[in-house]
Amino acid sequence: MLRLPLVRATGLSSSRLGAVGLHTTGSKSQASQELVEVFIDDKPVQVPPGTTVLQAAAKAGVEIPRFCYHERLAVAGNCRMCLVEIEKQIKPVAACAMPVMKGWRVKTNSDLTRKAREGVMEFLLVNHPLDCPICDQGGECDLQDQSMAFGNDRSRFTDIEFSGKRAVEDKDIGPLIKTVMTRCIHCTRCIRFASEVAGLDDLGTTGRGNDMQVGTYVEKMFLSELSGNVIDLCPVGALTNKPYAFVARPWENRRTDSIDVLDAVGSNIVVSSRTGEVLRILPRVNEDVNEEWLSDKSRFACDGLKRQRIITPMIKIAGKLQSVAWEDALVTAAKALQTVAGNEGAVIAGKLADAEALIALKDLFNKLGSEVLATEQGFPKDGSGIDLRSSYLLNNTIAGIEEADVVLLIGTNPRYEAPLVNTRLRKGYLHGEQTIALIGPNIDLSYEYENLGDSIDIITKLKNGSHPFSATLKNAKKPLIILGAEQLTRKDGAKIVSETQALANTLGNNVQASEDWKVLNVLHTNASQVAALDLGYGSTIEDVKQQQPKVLFLLGADDANIKKEDFPNTFIIYLGSHGDQGATIADVVLAGAAYTEKTGSYVNTEGRAQQTGAALTPPGMARPDWKVIRALSEIAGHRLPYDNITEVRSRLEEVAPHIVRYGDVEPANFFAQAHELAKQTGGSFLPDPVDIKQKTLDQFFMTDVISRASPTMAKCVQAAIKQRQTEL
Amino acid sequence: MASVSATTKYVRPVLSLNKNEARKRVLALYKLWYQEIPQILLDTSLPVTEKMCFDKLREEFRKNANETDIRVIDFLIIKGEQDLQETLEKWKNKGQLMDYFKVTVEKKPSDFLGKFLSGQD
Amino acid sequence: MASTILRNFRAVARLGSAAIAKRYVSVFPVLRNTAQPPPPDKVESRPTVRKPVDEAVSTQLKEFGAYAATCLAKYIQHVQLALGDELELLISPDGVIPVLSFLKDHHNAQFASLADITALDVPSRQNRFEIVYNLLSLRYNSRIRVKTYTDELTPIDSAVPVYKAALWYEREVWDMYGVYFANHPDLRRILTDYGFQGHPLRKDFPLSGFVEVRYDDEWKRIVTEPLEMTQEFRRFELSAPWEQFPNFRNAPSPSESEPSDKPEK
Repeated sequence: MLRLPLVRATGLSSSRLGAVGLHTTGSKSQASQELVEVFIDDKPVQVPPGTTVLQAAAKAGVEIPRFCYHERLAVAGNCRMCLVEIEKQIKPVAACAMPVMKGWRVKTNSDLTRKAREGVMEFLLVNHPLDCPICDQGGECDLQDQSMAFGNDRSRFTDIEFSGKRAVEDKDIGPLIKTVMTRCIHCTRCIRFASEVAGLDDLGTTGRGNDMQVGTYVEKMFLSELSGNVIDLCPVGALTNKPYAFVARPWENRRTDSIDVLDAVGSNIVVSSRTGEVLRILPRVNEDVNEEWLSDKSRFACDGLKRQRIITPMIKIAGKLQSVAWEDALVTAAKALQTVAGNEGAVIAGKLADAEALIALKDLFNKLGSEVLATEQGFPKDGSGIDLRSSYLLNNTIAGIEEADVVLLIGTNPRYEAPLVNTRLRKGYLHGEQTIALIGPNIDLSYEYENLGDSIDIITKLKNGSHPFSATLKNAKKPLIILGAEQLTRKDGAKIVSETQALANTLGNNVQASEDWKVLNVLHTNASQVAALDLGYGSTIEDVKQQQPKVLFLLGADDANIKKEDFPNTFIIYLGSHGDQGATIADVVLAGAAYTEKTGSYVNTEGRAQQTGAALTPPGMARPDWKVIRALSEIAGHRLPYDNITEVRSRLEEVAPHIVRYGDVEPANFFAQAHELAKQTGGSFLPDPVDIKQKTLDQFFMTDVISRASPTMAKCVQAAIKQRQTEL
Repeated sequence: MASVSATTKYVRPVLSLNKNEARKRVLALYKLWYQEIPQILLDTSLPVTEKMCFDKLREEFRKNANETDIRVIDFLIIKGEQDLQETLEKWKNKGQLMDYFKVTVEKKPSDFLGKFLSGQD
Repeated sequence: MASTILRNFRAVARLGSAAIAKRYVSVFPVLRNTAQPPPPDKVESRPTVRKPVDEAVSTQLKEFGAYAATCLAKYIQHVQLALGDELELLISPDGVIPVLSFLKDHHNAQFASLADITALDVPSRQNRFEIVYNLLSLRYNSRIRVKTYTDELTPIDSAVPVYKAALWYEREVWDMYGVYFANHPDLRRILTDYGFQGHPLRKDFPLSGFVEVRYDDEWKRIVTEPLEMTQEFRRFELSAPWEQFPNFRNAPSPSESEPSDKPEK
């Protein structure tokens, strides 16, 4: 289908035509229309009217070569590579931009088509440098592949001495993207991506014909939380990965399918590794989660996996951490655990913990008699607490966000907390005329929204109907509330949950859409959070502080902001991959594996269970986290009954069956019951305004141990700050 | 014509035509090794006793005790004869003969904690 | 019929290559209209470029193949011409001795020299090993390839009674692939070390092997131990992540071998 013109991308959004006027025609209404029959290389294929020749050909299983066309971007039709012959038409037509007509006979491999392609390819190559041997795109270059497949095998280019090829000055567009603009073939994919998906109009073309250039109009860096995707989009080597420059060829790399854990979206990734090193991370297509995009943090923070690593277990001797053998570290930790009687032990699980480690640790501490299992970002216990999954999931699924017509964001900045949720919102805003409102500070969300203020009692006003926005919300066919998980750690978190549930319930009663439409959604920022809540990690850090445990086990908890002074008489065991805040206060440090080094289960914010793949072995003496806990349990005399990953997973299945059903979303229910329970929640709102931790781009890049250890992320922060200062 | 479909496939034999013959060959090979071991030990000055060699011989033959395919047994006999020839002709040197005993191979831990501490999966 | 062809084959083979075409055309008038040989200045001289196949040569080979197939119909299952001018006889494993004897001793063949015996391992086939005999006829300046097949356990007749040269070649095939040659006078290893386990050219034998060999200082000898990789084994990933045209990439290459004409019976 041809894309509808991007009304809002043109900046004419103030002239709203009302929520109904410009609704896109969904696929449902298309299906009811009559199909037209066209013939691709004499193969008949039935397609809805408005389908382009290229899409019809794809449906018939015929791939037409292209450079500028991309399924997720607007059609540009400027590379001309997709020219095909259509019977009874004099000239070849661009397949990507031409809607099919009834009975057309398209010839994708006729002499005319082949000649047209050869001609286009020759023109492209005349102005393309012959530097494939030193080009980072080599081996995964569309131009290389297609010139092999469709180009001429003879060259008519003899002008090398005379005037030389066209050359363009390189641009500096930031620390992530390396540009070699001479290689650019002006497909404008990067420009379209920036303006449509990233919401940044920084890229564009200047000049015409031979003088055409892609660049930022003024000297400026292309800084966005999604900028890395233009590297994948670029069909040639004009935009390449700067940290990965001259590092490896794609065919040397070993690819491992995995899951990103640096935010709670659970983007599907491919980890490219070679000789025990993660070289780069690429997105993997998953239409339900990340489409084919990836946020910059997930893509470029992989060099943080090599620095600040804990490679041996350590014991604090005379105030200093010293490397020891596993036996010594485990015995020291086990001795401490053996002193625990009853509820004297506590656990704080960090944001990168996998479900296997979480269940092993929970089993171990339950055997010791302790019940205080906390996550870094606690969830209020009042009301239904964590008993009903509907209270803490992004119930309407990430893909479902696009369909909403009115979205209310409460105390969240999806742009930086979950960039790929934000692309869905932007998509809904551009194509679906979504109305978006925010309770919170003034931030740039890359699309227009209504800021309702930063006072938390607006939720109650919206519920009562005493706020001007409540009318819009009430008239919405598919309203959606996205509550930032960060707000739940406030002192009045329980009240926020219950009021939001009440508001969602009121709206939900009005919704005629369908039974499946879920108004209440919680957007998490920590990858481990949902799995931890599913497994019963119900305590908060406040609980742990009050309890003053004898032994505190930190499972990669580095962002909990706990200090040694809070626990003067506590023996602290830290298990994690990086030497950060948690390790410094620990008495025993156990070396764990990072997410690229273990097979671990994670549940993303919408409740989708997915697993990471082990691309490497953990460095030094580090071991996968659950194995460390299992070994510790044996030495401490409380042997856990599983020896391999399969057995751990069958234990996981006993506790929470959905965690091992990889790829599926387990929908949550009992909204009404959760609401009923929430009614009992007392308390009142605090007067503090709603605040968000990540407001600007420089706050986006370093949020966890891996990205804090990454030099690339440090450069990004500096670049973002510098750019902001020059703009002021 | 009332023909009974053949249930066994005709295959070309390697050495032995039936089980009995294969058995005889195995026993013959065993005896040959057994007789030759004292002479081998005299010739090579291996740091092993005769008893160890007899045990090892039995162990090596016992390894394949469950083989039933006559042709597989024949192949094992051929390889065993080849080994014996190489030993008797002194083509094999001391180290190669000692490889039967695998003295330097460390046994891998099989329990969880042992595997964990040695870093093996 | 066959005798005339063979007479022709012999006569032609004796003549110089320039004369072949002329003589041939006069014998087979049907072929008169075939393309003229390229003028001398256009003759392909680059060493890496394959010369066009001489029609006369390939027709001769085809005819000899057909003749051999009629003579040894019991053993020859298929006759084909690989790459235009390489005659291949695919025979049943029982026919090794008769076919090789025929090719060596027949007056019109005289493939007296056994250039090579080798094998191929294709694990997916029912008979996974293909045994290849390359023969050379010095008399007629001609080569022929004989192929047969077997599996891990079926012995093949040794060619030593026919060709003395087969002795070492068959030892090599036995050593590398584990194919047993029946009635071989001295079948033992030839390339691998004494005590070596396995057959290294089998496809299921890993590139790294199963064992590693080192000098042990304590025992003062070479020891063999199970392999433990200290460095990652490197594999190359040859499919591009954004490869857009797999249809094109996997298009079947033009067939390399064509069956020659069926023997007339």
